[in-house]
Amino acid sequence: MVKAIDNRWWLAAAVAGFAALPWGLGIYHQHVLIVSLFYVMMTASWNLLAGYTGQVSFGHAAFAGIGAYASGILATKVGLNPWLGVGAGTLAAAVFGFLLGVLCLKMGGIYLSLTTLGFSEILHIIINNEYEITRGTMGLQVPGLIAEYSKLAYFYIFLAGAIITLAVVHRLIHANIGLNFRAVQNDERAAAALGVDVVRVRVLAFTVSSALAGMAGALYGHYLLLITPQIPSLDQQFLVLSMTVIGGLGSFAGPVIGAFGLEILSEYIRAYGEYHVLAFGLVALIVARFAPRGLVGVWKQFMDRRRPAA
Amino acid sequence: MLALSLTNGLVIGIVYALTALGVSLVVGIMNVVNFAHGEFYILAGYFSYLFAHTLGIHPLAAMVIAVGLVFLLGLVVEYTLIRPTYGDDMYSLILTFILSIVFQSLFLLVFGPYPNKPPSWIKGATEVFGLFHYGNQRLAALAAGVVVIALFFAMLKLTWFGRMIRAAAQDREMAELNGINTTRLNLLSFGLGCALAAAAGVILAPVFPVTPTAGTPVALTAFVCVVLGGMGSMSGCVLGGLVLGVVENLGAAYVSTGYKHVFMFLILILVLLFRPAGLFGRREV
Repeated sequence: MVKAIDNRWWLAAAVAGFAALPWGLGIYHQHVLIVSLFYVMMTASWNLLAGYTGQVSFGHAAFAGIGAYASGILATKVGLNPWLGVGAGTLAAAVFGFLLGVLCLKMGGIYLSLTTLGFSEILHIIINNEYEITRGTMGLQVPGLIAEYSKLAYFYIFLAGAIITLAVVHRLIHANIGLNFRAVQNDERAAAALGVDVVRVRVLAFTVSSALAGMAGALYGHYLLLITPQIPSLDQQFLVLSMTVIGGLGSFAGPVIGAFGLEILSEYIRAYGEYHVLAFGLVALIVARFAPRGLVGVWKQFMDRRRPAA
Repeated sequence: MLALSLTNGLVIGIVYALTALGVSLVVGIMNVVNFAHGEFYILAGYFSYLFAHTLGIHPLAAMVIAVGLVFLLGLVVEYTLIRPTYGDDMYSLILTFILSIVFQSLFLLVFGPYPNKPPSWIKGATEVFGLFHYGNQRLAALAAGVVVIALFFAMLKLTWFGRMIRAAAQDREMAELNGINTTRLNLLSFGLGCALAAAAGVILAPVFPVTPTAGTPVALTAFVCVVLGGMGSMSGCVLGGLVLGVVENLGAAYVSTGYKHVFMFLILILVLLFRPAGLFGRREV
């Protein structure tokens, strides 16, 4: 048996090892890592909502879009410092997340999904129509976060963003309120009967998750230097959902594994061009159908089988 | 202008209603929201284009074959994907969402990004009430939509199968106790729901050509109709469809064309805020 070494040491070692990773890599591979870290932020925060409170939101990419456009517009029109812009973008996404969370309060799972999908479509239409402000499909050119463009610096910024996101998610699901989260997912009425403030838990999850998506989107916009309606698109939402489902919905490690696995995989199959979304979709469909707990679930099942019951 | 917008709204509204009936049926019986509903609509449009244009089959026969094929595909999807999710709405939501993206990328691969249009049934235009000239194809679409909806309601009210659907929608367990095979009923209702989307698709495709991603707004509109009419209420969602079609076209004519679809979502949000049970209340089927 493995000795019970303090988990924190493992974590510190993993982060240190990961932080050293890009030094040996070329610019292209550094780019892949940065994009993967963006998806870690997106999937981990979406998982907080869908995996831990059972609210399947289709508006998560839209919140990333709100963060990106809020920060980008403030930077280009008002000349706000991009770092403050990221803060403003996060705040804007939090405010919209809070409002949408309150709006969806009385709704069951299906209504919430429909409303978030509608929200995301409205946002898309507004971005495409308000060409003067958003530059529509042409994309909004925005300044970078650092004066001298360097992939390595962006890697550490995104690593910090991902660590913040994971820390917030970890804290929420392991604190007392995390227990409430899961109680709400499993049986809302029973949770309410036992004194869990269901409304508060759901709105809190919605606000925090949206704020984290807003932060991810704002950082991503300032990394790409061009914000397009691709960030808040349904395709993006599909990627985030697939990564989480393939990694393992409702598990802490699942979204991280899914984000890295699928982003790296998609770079490999990029050569096949149009087929890559289709391949993604088919893999996601098969995993969701036959292993609803994702790769993490399959791994756990495998370990349980190897270890005979005591 | 007003009369023209109203007529346009009516034509679109009937087709919205038809699409929404499929969603409503599946929600009422299985409590499943099929996110790939719009893709079945698009698929039928492509099928009718393919059969009529490429193979040269008579447009009407092509339409019937298209709807039939989509019905069969619906049965396959229910059997392979939806059946294991019974009782878990979230799971079926995720599966059908992924399915819709798979369909979209398949459409893109097979048919390309260009709009495809099956041939019109009739040509020319008619003067309506001496007010304006209106395309015969649109009038024919309106008539076809009304006929299919009427047939569906007749099936629901008059046939044994319709009675089973109504029983299961009212009280599933009770229906089961009375000897209804609800698993088979689920299978057939899902197929029928897809066929209704397909019927809407073949009716409207000669007017509004299909593109790979056009299914998303179609499905969204259908969902809004269903919420508007009250989840599970069939007549409610027909009314919801008509209201949406008219509001959208009036909005496009008098406020802004670009924001046409935003009006729909504003209505959705207002309804959810003030009348979560739907504008026309929650009535049994």
